Amino acid sequence: MTTTQFTNVRIIDGTGSAPYTGSVLVEGKRIKHISRSTAPISSGDALTIDAAGSTLMPGMCEAHTHFSWNNAANLAGIQTMPLEEHVLWSAKVAKIYLEAGWTSCVGAACAKPRLDVVIRNAINSGQIPGPRYLAASQEITVPGALGDETLPHLPFPEFSFGANVNGAEDMRKTVRMFLKYGVDCIKLNLSGDNFTPDSPAETHWMTDAEVAAAMEEVKMRGKRGTAHARSGPSVQQALRHGIEIIYHASFCDEKTLDLLEAAKDKVYVVPGIGIIHALLNEAEPWGVTRVQAESMGYAIEWEAALKSLSAMHKRGIRVMPGGDYGFAFTPHGQNARDLEFFVRYLGFTPMEAIRSCTLYGGQIMLKPNELGLVKEGYLADLLLIDGDPLTNLAILREPSRILAVMKDGVFAKHPPTSRAMPWERAA
Amino acid sequence: MNQILFTNVNVFDASGEMPYAGEVLVQDNKIARVSKAINGMRNLPSSGQTVIDGAGCFLMPGMVEAHTHFSWNDQPSLDAIQRMPPEEHILWCAQVAKQYLDMGWTSCVGAAAAKPRLDVVIRNAVNDGTIIGPRYTAPSQEITVPGGLGDSTQPHLPQSEFAFGAVVSGSDEMRRCVRMFCKYGVDTLKINLSGESITGMSSEQSQFTEEEITTCVQEAKSWGKWVAAHARSTWSVKQCVKQGINVIYHASFLDNEALDLLDQHRHSHFIAPGLAWLINTCYNAKEFGLTKEVVQKMGYFKELDAAIESMRALHKRGVHIMPGGDYGFAWTPHGTNAKDLEYFVKHVGMSNMEALLSATTWGAPMMRSAEPLGQIREGYLADLLLIDGDPMTDITVLQDKFRILAVMKDGKFHREPPSLTQRGQPGRPSVPTRWAA
Repeated sequence: MTTTQFTNVRIIDGTGSAPYTGSVLVEGKRIKHISRSTAPISSGDALTIDAAGSTLMPGMCEAHTHFSWNNAANLAGIQTMPLEEHVLWSAKVAKIYLEAGWTSCVGAACAKPRLDVVIRNAINSGQIPGPRYLAASQEITVPGALGDETLPHLPFPEFSFGANVNGAEDMRKTVRMFLKYGVDCIKLNLSGDNFTPDSPAETHWMTDAEVAAAMEEVKMRGKRGTAHARSGPSVQQALRHGIEIIYHASFCDEKTLDLLEAAKDKVYVVPGIGIIHALLNEAEPWGVTRVQAESMGYAIEWEAALKSLSAMHKRGIRVMPGGDYGFAFTPHGQNARDLEFFVRYLGFTPMEAIRSCTLYGGQIMLKPNELGLVKEGYLADLLLIDGDPLTNLAILREPSRILAVMKDGVFAKHPPTSRAMPWERAA
Repeated sequence: MNQILFTNVNVFDASGEMPYAGEVLVQDNKIARVSKAINGMRNLPSSGQTVIDGAGCFLMPGMVEAHTHFSWNDQPSLDAIQRMPPEEHILWCAQVAKQYLDMGWTSCVGAAAAKPRLDVVIRNAVNDGTIIGPRYTAPSQEITVPGGLGDSTQPHLPQSEFAFGAVVSGSDEMRRCVRMFCKYGVDTLKINLSGESITGMSSEQSQFTEEEITTCVQEAKSWGKWVAAHARSTWSVKQCVKQGINVIYHASFLDNEALDLLDQHRHSHFIAPGLAWLINTCYNAKEFGLTKEVVQKMGYFKELDAAIESMRALHKRGVHIMPGGDYGFAWTPHGTNAKDLEYFVKHVGMSNMEALLSATTWGAPMMRSAEPLGQIREGYLADLLLIDGDPMTDITVLQDKFRILAVMKDGKFHREPPSLTQRGQPGRPSVPTRWAA
């Protein structure tokens, strides 16, 4: 069993309580002991990391992850990547997330049927490095909606980004297929998206019969449903059918907010506002000017989303970071930017922002009593940060400031030690 | 500029010369200087470089595996390899590619993939840095005929997805198949010219018409590709020479005419027997149902004798043969490839020096590299191994990962030599570390 201790660390435990100085001993895959002294805890053979006052916090949870999005500027650019390359790409991205401090990720859809399942299995078997992962299905959609990338003259399912279904029985069959493949979550595209002008954000597409069929199968197998739901009615539809993980939720009126609040012990909202911000302000190099973004409806959605999400946060609904990183204008690895947006635009305190990816992270990963906090007995998913994220959240997306990443008690990114010093070798 | 100086090493430069005490300077991805130590004096300037004091260890060129199947998944049958889904299969290949480099094979000659694009994708991913692996030439699937080696379809499951190889019949189908693989970007077309006893068609039998073979070779040549053949039977080896097939795998059954042909055309063909498959099928596959009786019945003892005789004869005539072949089955697991060198010494009559040359200088041209590799020589690509031990006296040290202290590919360490600060690993001593936050 490996033992590691961090001495002289400033601990942000993830609950929202004030940081304190102490030392943490990790034994095997769990946090064994936390002391309020900076002195070493173990005098045994533990690897001792003298953290010199840097911050130790729980590994973060990205609640809306797409490993298979390949930093292309559109869905077709993702979809046309061949299968073999796509697997290797996803493996590479999984490693990027882990090393960036995201020790848990909730898969929110993959671009080909088995990609996420295969990556999750490969991580779990130790074949590739990556975060804890809940594997998603493809986006399930209906003809003409977000994710149906077939063209009239190319109607083949292989051309489709999502899995196209039509009718409750078709839905059931598709959901069963993904469950057979071993997914943890079934992703349903309930609303449209301004990214696809023919099916914009405030439209919704699935019949209740279709969603009900999907969720019946999902619950029967003990899995979860997740929903792309930007419009109010689509959020209500998700809640109506017991979908607990709601992506986007940009347009929520009072009634929708009330419904969300009533379900707040079960529901997680993961808005993915990073991409709206990027499309409005930063996507010109990829051909999306501010004017175009506005004409696509993104300015309206941005305003609505800030209002909806701020209200949710005030009502105590769990709003979590992550979402739609993996496009050209939201490259993988910059995900922690969401935390800054939460503070800047949604009225979070920095501590609340951190709690949203730590305490809530353990909950959404279905390990509420053993993951997401720096607490004795908890799984040792830990980050060592150079600096104080409470003063400057931006350091969480700066690789050089993330000194070490530990998952399950094992370093995924080693702290800089004498190993990194210039060396002369003798064999 | 990346500069690394190996001092105090025993240099095996793979020119044929005996190892000598000396120094090797690597600049960027090339070997810049090689010098012999004179009276123990250091004679290359050593400022500004990373200096590796080799403490007398053996420095040799990275090895070339002449017959590699990254996608064979250490299973006992072709069917079990074929059944792996493509997503898992590509991750497997990536894992194996790294393993080869770990074990000192800095170059590998792909000899067939189990699904059409696997090896091309792996080669590209190694080259663009997505994954870690050796230099690689990517092959096609095995091209075969209905009922031949690699046709693992069954009468009630005739779909091509069930076939281990690409099954063609007739010249037109062959041409289409070769074109498809060329379109996918292979470096080499692999064609199965002989049988393989374990599949039911004896290794002494042959398949394909001359016309089909001609079509394959012509089409491959017009795309600038090489052709490699699974050729165990006498007829198939003669076809390789006759038709100009670049790489001849196995060549177990050689009559005098075949030996003469290979001798006369020694500079136009590369021969890799893959003895490991025969030896381990005969002696180390009992737990997979290949008992002595079963193997006897299949004819593998006879083939092993024939293959050893053929290789001894070729070696005696000075025809080069190369190591590698069919690692990746349950009884020839990936990573044990350096056993081939031991087999060459033990069964073929090579000296240790010759075995080392077969894995370096002799095999290097198979990589078709624009820049020279396979020797420690100024201007050559810096693919280097630092070995704890002397392969000139004990060839088996190359089978032990812990004796391969360092692996350098293209001037960069894939595995760094153990440093002073890392001593005691992997038990990791309790040394407090300190750094400024």
